Amino acid sequence: METLRLILSPDFLLRNSVYTSVLVGFSCPLVGVFLVMRRLVFMGVALPQISSTGVAVALSLPLWLGFSLTGHGSHSAHVLAFVGSMTFSLTAILVLAFLERRGRGQPEGRLGTAYVVAAALSILLLSKNPYGEIGWLDLLKGEVITVSNFDLLLTAATLALVLAALGLFHKELLLVSFDRAMAITLGKNVVFWDVLLYLLIGLTVSMAVLSVGPLIAFGFLLIPALTAHLFARNMRQFTMLASLVGGATAFLGFWVAYQYDAPVGPTDVVLLGMIYAAAWIIARCLPGNPGKSHKA
Amino acid sequence: MNEALITLDKLSIGYNGQPVLSEISLAIARDSFTAILGVNGSGKSTLLKTLLGLLPPIAGRIDTAASTGAPLVFGYVPQSIQFDPIYLLKGFEVALMGTYGRIRPGRFVPSSERAFTRECLRAAGAEEFARKRFAELSGGQKQRVLIARALTTRPDVLVLDEPTAGVDAAATRTVLEFIAHARKERKITVLLVTHDFAAVRRHARQVLWLHHGKVLHGAADELVTSERMAEMFEMEIG
Repeated sequence: METLRLILSPDFLLRNSVYTSVLVGFSCPLVGVFLVMRRLVFMGVALPQISSTGVAVALSLPLWLGFSLTGHGSHSAHVLAFVGSMTFSLTAILVLAFLERRGRGQPEGRLGTAYVVAAALSILLLSKNPYGEIGWLDLLKGEVITVSNFDLLLTAATLALVLAALGLFHKELLLVSFDRAMAITLGKNVVFWDVLLYLLIGLTVSMAVLSVGPLIAFGFLLIPALTAHLFARNMRQFTMLASLVGGATAFLGFWVAYQYDAPVGPTDVVLLGMIYAAAWIIARCLPGNPGKSHKA
Repeated sequence: MNEALITLDKLSIGYNGQPVLSEISLAIARDSFTAILGVNGSGKSTLLKTLLGLLPPIAGRIDTAASTGAPLVFGYVPQSIQFDPIYLLKGFEVALMGTYGRIRPGRFVPSSERAFTRECLRAAGAEEFARKRFAELSGGQKQRVLIARALTTRPDVLVLDEPTAGVDAAATRTVLEFIAHARKERKITVLLVTHDFAAVRRHARQVLWLHHGKVLHGAADELVTSERMAEMFEMEIG
């Protein structure tokens, strides 16, 4: 309880890390719901890793071009990393979604290869980079470290934008996901709505990777949505429950990690896994639960 | 016969530039009930997708003549098995989607459209399925919800893809009776793809018969003779 009081205190040294984790915890499941519904779970695994490669490439650029940045806390390094992360996320999601839609080859093979190559490449690039030594490598391994006010503000602004867009255009995004043919006959520009959804997913993943690393980003994208699907009876419950599970676990994870001096990322993900397992068992035991008949 | 609502002029349709059906020239009359018949792989779904704008024609043109001058509104009823059960949508939410064509992005669905959706569900005999999960409905119940959804688009043309597939005989009769009734009452043109001509024979006055890469068009009684039906049946089981 003492730890909880400390974490909730406005003077807590790592308060920005708590706020950022919780923000990511609440927001990632909102786009994760669409990844689960569109059966793009594997993309949810590969995307944060590809995004982190974007960070590594962006931070290697000054080194290759002979410039220098002032470190992890600097705005220029953060903006550069965000641009790299966003570019790689968006390119990857558009290319992978296009290949998925064409339906040729082995999607699992493509995504698996993309994941493992991206993971290796990002660690390789940052191990040869001075920024890797001053925090970025730790972040990409899933350790939430110091988050500046600027980082927190950027995260909050980006996620607010994603939230607003998802709320405003929910009916269009749902229609295009559920029944593409119907959307076309109603005169909807399905390519536009697909690209907008991918843009929102890419933006959320980039921001999450940059704030808390790919491990937590992946965990919060998919596991809360899969957990919520076991109990939800309609789309509103599905979305809100997923977001709630994500946000609550992010806070709980930080608390547990701080209490036992463990890295936050792996603690969050293990907690999410345990919650999912417990939820799965409970859903099987509850009579008449929708999770018994229709699984994600 | 009423004036032409849809005119196909030397239309060739298919995938990736490879025609499935070529040189189709015919007219579909306003307020008519037309059955599209043919064996598996004859191009029924390709024709439907091209009419709906889901597939571009390879050659030729499709002319439409909506009375208002606006583009024709198609109320599309796809096969119910194609929907992923992972979506936690109620029957009402599925039917409500038909109104989205009239609501601008970023706007909430007004209460008048919600009331109209309830009216369409009632008309399609699907009112009791409004609060149930769409994925958990039977084939016939899903079809009714999808027909209600097509009606909420306020369609000029109701396009149905095998609406009686996987539906028992009693439900098939009810669904077809309702479609025929809606056509008369709401002055809607009906295009219905089916394998089961016997079931729709009472209602369909016109037939498009896809046969050997060509489209035969005419009155049901003249075109679908017992000899032709036997030929079609043999091809299907052969």
